[in-house]
Amino acid sequence: MLDLSRREFISGCSAAIAALSGSRLLHLSWNTDSTATPILVVVFLRGGMDGLHLLGPVDDPDYVAARPATLRVGESGEFAGLPIGNGYAGRDFRLHKAAAPIRELFDARQLAFVHAAGLVHGTRSHFEAMDYVERGVVGGTGRTAASGWMTRLAETVPGIGSMGLVSASDRAPDSMLGAANAMAMANPEAFSVPVGPQVAKYLRSVYRGSSEVHRAGTRTLDAIEAIHKELKTPEGAWKPYFPERGAAYPDGELGQSLRTVARLIRADLGLRLAAVDYGGWDTHEGQTYTFAPRVEHLSRSLAAFANDLHAYQDRLCVVVMSEFGRRVRANQSQGTDHGHGNAMMVMGGGVAGGRILGDWPGLATEQLDQRADLAITTDYRAVLSEVASAHLGVNDVSKVFPGFKAKPVGLMDRSKP
Amino acid sequence: MKPTKEAIILGRLAYGHNAADLERLGRAGLKRWLDEQLAPPSGDDPETARRLAEATFKIEYPEEAGKWPKVDEERPLATLDADLKSVWHLRDWQKPMPYQERVRPRDEVNAATWIRALYSKYQLREVMVGFWHDHFHVNALHDDVAIAVAWPHYDRIMRKHALGNFRAFLEEVAKSPAMLVYLNNRSSKASPANENYARELFELHTLGKDAYLNDLYNRWRDVPGAAKGEPVGYIDQDVYEAARAFTGWTLADGSWSGEGPLPSTGEFLYHAAWHDPYQKRVLGREFEANAPPMADGVRVLDLVADHPATAKHLATKLVRKLVADDPPPGLVNRAAEAWAKHRRAPDQIARVVRVIAESKEFAETWGKKTKRPFEYFVSFLRATGAEVKPDPGMIWLTFVMGERMFGWPTPDGPPDRGAAWLGTNAMLGRWNGAFWLASKDHPAARHNWVAATPEAATTIGAAAEHWCNVLLPGTEKDSLLASLREAISQWAPPETPLDRSQGADAIAGVAALVALAPEFNLK
Repeated sequence: MLDLSRREFISGCSAAIAALSGSRLLHLSWNTDSTATPILVVVFLRGGMDGLHLLGPVDDPDYVAARPATLRVGESGEFAGLPIGNGYAGRDFRLHKAAAPIRELFDARQLAFVHAAGLVHGTRSHFEAMDYVERGVVGGTGRTAASGWMTRLAETVPGIGSMGLVSASDRAPDSMLGAANAMAMANPEAFSVPVGPQVAKYLRSVYRGSSEVHRAGTRTLDAIEAIHKELKTPEGAWKPYFPERGAAYPDGELGQSLRTVARLIRADLGLRLAAVDYGGWDTHEGQTYTFAPRVEHLSRSLAAFANDLHAYQDRLCVVVMSEFGRRVRANQSQGTDHGHGNAMMVMGGGVAGGRILGDWPGLATEQLDQRADLAITTDYRAVLSEVASAHLGVNDVSKVFPGFKAKPVGLMDRSKP
Repeated sequence: MKPTKEAIILGRLAYGHNAADLERLGRAGLKRWLDEQLAPPSGDDPETARRLAEATFKIEYPEEAGKWPKVDEERPLATLDADLKSVWHLRDWQKPMPYQERVRPRDEVNAATWIRALYSKYQLREVMVGFWHDHFHVNALHDDVAIAVAWPHYDRIMRKHALGNFRAFLEEVAKSPAMLVYLNNRSSKASPANENYARELFELHTLGKDAYLNDLYNRWRDVPGAAKGEPVGYIDQDVYEAARAFTGWTLADGSWSGEGPLPSTGEFLYHAAWHDPYQKRVLGREFEANAPPMADGVRVLDLVADHPATAKHLATKLVRKLVADDPPPGLVNRAAEAWAKHRRAPDQIARVVRVIAESKEFAETWGKKTKRPFEYFVSFLRATGAEVKPDPGMIWLTFVMGERMFGWPTPDGPPDRGAAWLGTNAMLGRWNGAFWLASKDHPAARHNWVAATPEAATTIGAAAEHWCNVLLPGTEKDSLLASLREAISQWAPPETPLDRSQGADAIAGVAALVALAPEFNLK
C-alpha cells in the first residue's frame, strides 16, 4: 500500500472543495422505520476459506493422515485446537487456536456452524463458483443471470427502502447485481459532493435520465443525502461514532467494514441487507502463516460486531461463507488447493447456536467428492433460505432461489438440544 | 449526437483526446495513424522519455532509531530499467530496510504508468499495456514484497509484448518472478503439485472459463474431441496434469531445495529435482515420460496458446475492451479468426487490434463503454492540457474508487464492464477527483486555466462553452450547456465578464463541472 492514509486523502479533497465553497446538507424526506425490523449481514471470505483448518475432527485418522500438523487443527502440541465438545458426528471437532472469540460466541449459543456445506457443482474455479454462489443458482446458464441473490431477496423483504441494501466496500458484490438501490460505501464520511449544494443541484439536472450512467449518478446523490441527514449534526459536522460495550474492532479490512455496517445500523438509516468482503483465503502456499492471522482477524471482528450491536441482537443475523473449501490432502507447497465442501457460520440472537449442523460425510477416500474433497451434504442455499424465511420473514423463498427445494437445517430451531 | 470521429477513436484507442492527437489523427486518417500506433519503436518516444527521466515521486517514512533516518523527499524513478539482480536485495528480510524502500520499484511503475498514459505519443500501446496487465493480472500489493520488487521487470514484459505474439508473451509471463510468486508455481514440486498457476493458466490466461467443462465431464476421454487430441474444452484432470508439467519451474529466490539453498538472483530457474518427470496427458495429448528440461511445460503452453477456445476468449476480451461491454458477435468471430490465422506472426496481437479498430462495429459504436477511474482522470488531464507530476494522492484516488491500480485482490484482474465502475463509491470519486485535479490546491496537476481559455471568451458563460467544446468535441450539448448556465447562475450570472487576472478558480470550476457530466464518463 502506498504510504498515505485514507484520512489524508479526504482532507486533501476537502482542501480542494473548500477552495470553491462550503458544504451544507441537503433536504430529502426520509422515512425510517424504527420498529424491530430484521437485518442480515453476509460476510464473504474470498478465495476459498479452508473450513477443515478452521473446524476439524482432530481424532479422525483420515484427517491426521491427509495433512501435516501445520495444516490441520491439532489434538495437542503447538497447533492444538480449542475443544468445543459437542459430540458432532461422534468426533472431537475443534476450532483453530486463533478462533477463541468465535468459541466464546459458540459457547454463548450465539453462533452455529454448518459443516460440509457448499455449492453442489463440479467446479473448482473461484470465479465460476463465486458467479453461481452470488447469483444464488447452480449450473447451466445461471452463471450469467442478471440478478444477485441478495437483489432478489431485497425484492421479497417487506418494506425495504432505498438505503436497504449496502455493501461496506468500494464496490457492490455480484450478490447485489442488478439492484437499482445497492449502495457501495467503504466509509460514510467520504460521502460528500464537491463544493456543496450548487453542485449537487447541477448533478441532479445532468444525471436526469434512464441510462446506466444516469441512474448511477442519481443513486449516488440519493445515498449522499440519506447519509448526511442521519450521520451529520445540524451544524454539518460528522457525528462521532462510539461502539457500544467497549467493542474493539481490529484494524484491517473486515473489522473496519463491520464497524461501518454497525454505524449505519445504529443510525437507523433503514439498512436491512449488508454485504461485507474479506479476502486473502486462497492459501495454496505457506498456509500455516497466512491462515492463522486471518482467522484471528475474522474472530475478533465478529466478536466486536456482536458486542457493538448487542442491543440489536434479536434483529441481527450474520452469515459467514466462502466460495468453496479446500482439498483434504495438502500439496507440497505447505498449502492446500481448491476443494469443495466447507464450513459456514451463522450468528445472531435468533440462532440456535452452540451447535454444528448438517451431516458429516467423513474423510475416508471413498467418502470424498471426486476422491479428493470434503463432500457436500448441505446446499449453501438451504442455509440462506432458512435465514430468509425464519429470520427475515420471507414467505416465498423460491423467488430468491428459483427451483430450489430446501431441506431444513434447523438454524433457528431451539427446540432441539 | 455522438462526439467527432477522432474523439471516438482517441476515446477507446488512446487515453482520451488532446489537441495534438486530434490534429495528428485528423491529418493522417485512421489507417495511417494505426500504421504508426501498431508498430511503435521499442522504447518511449523522446518527449515521454524526457519526462520519465525528469520525473520524481515522493518517498516518506519515519526514523527507526539505530536503523535508518527519517526520509521525506522527491526521488527520481531509478528502477524502471533496472534488471532483477540489481533490485532483488530489496526483498531480503535479513537486511533492515523500511517497507517503503522495498516496494519502491512498484510505486515507480505506478508513477510511470500515469506519465505514459498522459503523454506517450504511442497511446494505443499504453492502452494495450493496460489490457495485458489486467489479463495477466498479478497483485503487486501482495504480502510477499518480491512482487513489488519485480514489478518493473513484469511491466517491461507487458510493454515488450503488448502488440506482439501471444505464445511468446505467455512463456515470458510463465517464467516471470511476479507470476511465479503470485500463483505459487515457484514452490510447486512433485507431488502433489501446487495447481494454482496451472488452473489460472487455463481459466484466465488462455482457454477461458467458458471452456471449463468440469461440471459436464469427469474423465478426460469424455470431453468431445478428446480422443482425437482436440477436446473442445478442459476439465480438472487437465489442470492436475498441467500442474505436474510445471513442477520445477521456479525462481532463484534462495529457497531450500534439499541439497542446499537455491541461488538468490530473482531470476527464473528450472529445478529438475522438483519436477515430476513421468508421462502425462493434457488436452488429449500424450506426454512421454522423462522429457528434456522444461519440455513438458513448454508443450502445455503450445497446446493452450493454440487452442481455438483461446482465440475466442482473447478475441472476446479485446472487443469488449476496445468496442463495447457486450461485444458484437460478428466482430468477435472475425477477431478470433485473425488471432488464429496470425498465431505464428511476431505482430499477431497488432493484426487483431487492427481488425477490430478498422471494423464498422468500432466506427458505429459510442457510449457502450464507461471510462474506468484511471481512464477518466487521465482523459480529463489530457484534454485540459495539464502539466502532471504524479503523487501518492492521485494513485490513492483511484484506489479508494475500487480500481486499485496493480492491486486487484484476485487473479482475474479488474472487470472490464461499466457496471463495476458506476457504484456509489466510484461516482463520488469521479466527482470529487475531477474538482480536486482541476483545483490550484492540487500540487500534482498544474493548469494555466486563464491562458488556456481564448480571449474571445469574455464571460464566464462563454468560458463554460469553450471548455464544453474542449472536453466533448462534437457532442450535442444544448441541454448540458443549459444545466451549466443554471449552475453558474447560482454564484453569478453567466454574462458576468471574465476577469482574466482573477478568473482561474472560476474557469477551473466550470471545466470540472463539464467533466462531471455523464457524457464525459463514457467512451
